[in-house]
Amino acid sequence: MVDFSLTPDQESLRELARKFARSEMAPHAAEVDRNGRFPEEIYRKAWELGLMNLNVPAEYGGTGLGLFDQCLIVEELAYACAGMTTSIIANCLALEPIILGATPEQKDRWLKPFCADYHLASFCLTEPSGGSDAAALKTRARRSGDEYILTGEKCFITNAPHAALFTVFATLDPALRHKGITAFVVPRESAGLLPGREEEKMGHRASATSTVRFEEVRVPATDRLGAEGEGFALAMRTLDQTRTPIGAMATGISQAALDLAARYALQRTTFGKPIAEHQAIQAKLATMAQQLTASRLLTWLAAWTIDRGARGTLESSIAKCFSSDAALRVADEAIQTFGGYGYMKEYPVEKLLRDAKLTQIYEGANEIQRIVTARELLKRYA
Amino acid sequence: MEIAVCVKPVPDPETRLRPGPDQRTLDVEGVKFVLAGYDESAVEQALLLRDQLPGSTVRALAYGPAPRTPEVLRSCLALGCDSVTHLEASAPVDDPMAVAAALAHVLASRPADLVLVGKQALDDEEGLVAPALGALLERPSFSSVTDLRWNPERSRFTFQRSTDTEIERWEAPVPLVIGLQQAWNDPRTAKLPNILKARRQPIDTVPAATIEAAVAGRNGRSLPLKFELPAPRAGARMIDYSTPAEAAERLVRLLREEAKVFP
Repeated sequence: MVDFSLTPDQESLRELARKFARSEMAPHAAEVDRNGRFPEEIYRKAWELGLMNLNVPAEYGGTGLGLFDQCLIVEELAYACAGMTTSIIANCLALEPIILGATPEQKDRWLKPFCADYHLASFCLTEPSGGSDAAALKTRARRSGDEYILTGEKCFITNAPHAALFTVFATLDPALRHKGITAFVVPRESAGLLPGREEEKMGHRASATSTVRFEEVRVPATDRLGAEGEGFALAMRTLDQTRTPIGAMATGISQAALDLAARYALQRTTFGKPIAEHQAIQAKLATMAQQLTASRLLTWLAAWTIDRGARGTLESSIAKCFSSDAALRVADEAIQTFGGYGYMKEYPVEKLLRDAKLTQIYEGANEIQRIVTARELLKRYA
Repeated sequence: MEIAVCVKPVPDPETRLRPGPDQRTLDVEGVKFVLAGYDESAVEQALLLRDQLPGSTVRALAYGPAPRTPEVLRSCLALGCDSVTHLEASAPVDDPMAVAAALAHVLASRPADLVLVGKQALDDEEGLVAPALGALLERPSFSSVTDLRWNPERSRFTFQRSTDTEIERWEAPVPLVIGLQQAWNDPRTAKLPNILKARRQPIDTVPAATIEAAVAGRNGRSLPLKFELPAPRAGARMIDYSTPAEAAERLVRLLREEAKVFP
């Protein structure tokens, strides 16, 4: 029997996330978006409540949640502010390679002290020359005795200006393509690790993004994740886990857009009646609700599939791609419902469109998601 | 020190309440019951005192039907209470004397040095349980208390009471019943791991039959006659005018003739 109801545990974790999102995040969302401020006090509170490091097993000091439960939380947080949510869940992305690929000794060494206090981590895969073609990355790792020396540059790295720990993907030899890629864990204080200036972004302005330069950064061989050449597979397995919460993020944005549009439509009057009584607006709201509901269910399906132990590549790529495309359309229709007011920064809907846009781009651009979806799909017909 | 904190499940302040079909009760369909208002402060104060006085324990008690009552007790566990006791009831209990009698019965068999309650519940705001509990337990009882502190030299609590005209400073020995107005700081939020852990912690229960015998006819002696929603607001009326003087004149006329604010 298929059952869409949540367990009491899930109800309570969603309730906590909702309360935190609406009382701690939402009141600051507009100000932080306007000023591009990094609201670290909010992230610290999220950490204190156990809303960060959601995927880290409890034995290492994290919250130890499955993907479905993570998605419930991410949707609630993104409802209040997608930018803050990006910074809060960036730790999940950066720590996932450690959870998947580290030895028990490495997990003890990295995850325990990291999770015992408030810290941020950054996932360093994308480079200036490309993000989608990850096998072509250029950052070099050169072996020197019992160390590796990292040289190169990463870009669009979430939380990098504030991160204490970096998971870095570098190649031993670009000619080896994906077979040369190796993963490392590099602490902030390493000599030669240089985060760049914060980028000015269209949306997600509560989150900090910068380049990270590696100038002859010495990394002990004991800080390598997995074997040499296993980095690419580790990055892909990581993204299989973290793609689905982006669907939840997009769903949260869509829900916020629909709520704002529907409330506005009931109070705004034209031609002598609330615009919610005009069929043109009703059709918009109905379409928005369809997109929203489908986004949530696809996200839940992907998370449920992965929680049952399957890899879920097909389901998660569909969920991420559909929900992020939907969020852009739903936010767009919310602005249209608000008319001229929707275009003004005084109202909260234009931010949703700017925030939604990124969900189509990061953690695997939607063009890549469609390739992944098609590849997984065609395997079933071959 | 043994601290007992008594709490009441109340409708989530964010829900929109409606009268039920009989108009004498509230329609609780889909309404979530929560720990709220002064009760949250009472729990916070109990936990702060426990942390300050080594060897102390905090036990939360609530009287009412399932599932709302055990749910609220679970949130007390998630906040950090050491144990919780559910006084079972087959139906909602609204009579403050019945609540006090039930709590007094259970507290008599396991006395606490300090009994903390919120000074009044967030829903009916009667504020009667603290004084009634003091009377039934034959202990001193104070309501509207702030700045509750333990003085170890004198083995007494000191606290303030704010009345309409003055601030009183008191001290009193234990055992003591306190209706709390405000804790030292804002109530804390339960952390996610503790919320999940609280789901697996035991809830002590006292069966409804035992409680009903103790309450013996105290419930339901007063009943609300009718609940009704306030009349919807009529909305604003805009005045057309061309000069400020004209606006003032029309406004005064409306206030006098229609709103009847002036004779």
